[in-house]
Amino acid sequence: MNLLKLAGTWLFVLSAFLSSGAGAQAPIPALTTHVTDVTGTLADAQRASLEQTLQAFEAKKGSQISVLMVPTTAPETIEQYSLRVVEQWKLGRKNIDDGVLLIIAKEDRTLRIEVGYGLEGALTDATSSRIINESIVPRFKQGDYYGGVAAGVDSIMRVVDGEPLPPPDQRASGPAQLAHYLPVLFVLTLVAGGVLRVLLGRLPGAVVTGGAVALVAWMLSGALFIAAVAGVIALAFTLLGSGLGAVAGARVIGGQPGRFGGDSGRTIFRGGGGGFGGGGASGRW
Amino acid sequence: MRILCLGLLAVIVMAVSGCGYNAIQRQDEQVKADWSEVVNQYQRRADLVPNLVNTVKGFASQERSVLIGVTEARARVGSVQATPELLNDPQAFARFESAQAQLSSSLSKLLVVSEAYPQLKSDANFRDLQAQLEGTENRIAVARNRYIKAVQDYNTTVRSFPSNLTASVFGYKEKPNFSVTNEAEIARPPQVDFNTAPAPASGAAN
Repeated sequence: MNLLKLAGTWLFVLSAFLSSGAGAQAPIPALTTHVTDVTGTLADAQRASLEQTLQAFEAKKGSQISVLMVPTTAPETIEQYSLRVVEQWKLGRKNIDDGVLLIIAKEDRTLRIEVGYGLEGALTDATSSRIINESIVPRFKQGDYYGGVAAGVDSIMRVVDGEPLPPPDQRASGPAQLAHYLPVLFVLTLVAGGVLRVLLGRLPGAVVTGGAVALVAWMLSGALFIAAVAGVIALAFTLLGSGLGAVAGARVIGGQPGRFGGDSGRTIFRGGGGGFGGGGASGRW
Repeated sequence: MRILCLGLLAVIVMAVSGCGYNAIQRQDEQVKADWSEVVNQYQRRADLVPNLVNTVKGFASQERSVLIGVTEARARVGSVQATPELLNDPQAFARFESAQAQLSSSLSKLLVVSEAYPQLKSDANFRDLQAQLEGTENRIAVARNRYIKAVQDYNTTVRSFPSNLTASVFGYKEKPNFSVTNEAEIARPPQVDFNTAPAPASGAAN
């Protein structure tokens, strides 16, 4: 009897712990645009104008600045919540870590500027705190949310602009560029392999195709080893079967199958893989 | 013969990596890196203290005891060497922890006291320092969290089968983790004081 009671108590405690401890955190919205307003505070035109400003800034400077408005961060503090957000969103470029998040919890009346590692030297805690207390909070107090956010974003951009950072990526480097040419290479070798095999016979056709694929792969990737592997694979497949060799050969130089031509247009905003360490400042109004 | 040797080597390599040796190495390095970040942020806080004390002293010199408390705590923090070897010595780790906790509590006392001085609170220099201190405290919290996770991973590897055998052969031990610093405060039920007759003992919680 006593044992049963004890077990019951344990079960109760455990269930209470589970229900309150796990899964009770505020959800993190998905990152699709620079400005994410869950509360619906900003008008569409205002949101679009902010979006445009931040997009232009990213194109010019490379830094990713993002704005997030949520109703509340409860039960966490805004610091804990915003760190979870940036760990998921990964704003800023990889290894440059130049992301900034301006997060506003409307019902909590708290806000925070979360600064990536790479910008901690420019956008220091003190500077962030000043931006919050001098540009944003006075406007928020009057209920002018758009004005506050716009002024805050403007100040952040001015500070970041003064920081010498690597120039923005023209997304023309490495595998991304290679991925662009992959379909072309693929079709080319498919056709060429087939034609050459018919014209020259199985073995010479395969050799010529393999050589051509290796050459093109070398020109595109610049790595001799990759070129050799691509060529050998193309040769083997042309020798054994149909134009399949081209597919395999092309795959090797692409590195990541299923990713070719991935982010064309870039309508969806994504974090670049930047890191955060809790720098920045919080405030309330 | 050579082929046999090569095969044997391959088997050894696979056995070593299969029994968690590489995982232990990787996680051990991760723990060290995260620990460095913790120490780095604590150092940053310690560097802020002299400036902060000087600024407060300019406006609130009568708060001698609080100021001296902070200075002493700062000195004690400086005397504990935070080397990576500290991680393999639970006692030294505890000393480090207690010194940092002391500085935390005396700093928060200082900030509470400074609330009573409007001039100090509106001083731009003090506000900047306060922002820096808050930012650093937050960084410390983040760094500690990451360290806790890294140690958790490492300790799990070191204690679970079969990597625990590898760990014991190569002498890898569990590493100490942070405990909740204000355990006593959390355990105490919150007291609400309305300045009336003291409420009966709070035994509401079962």
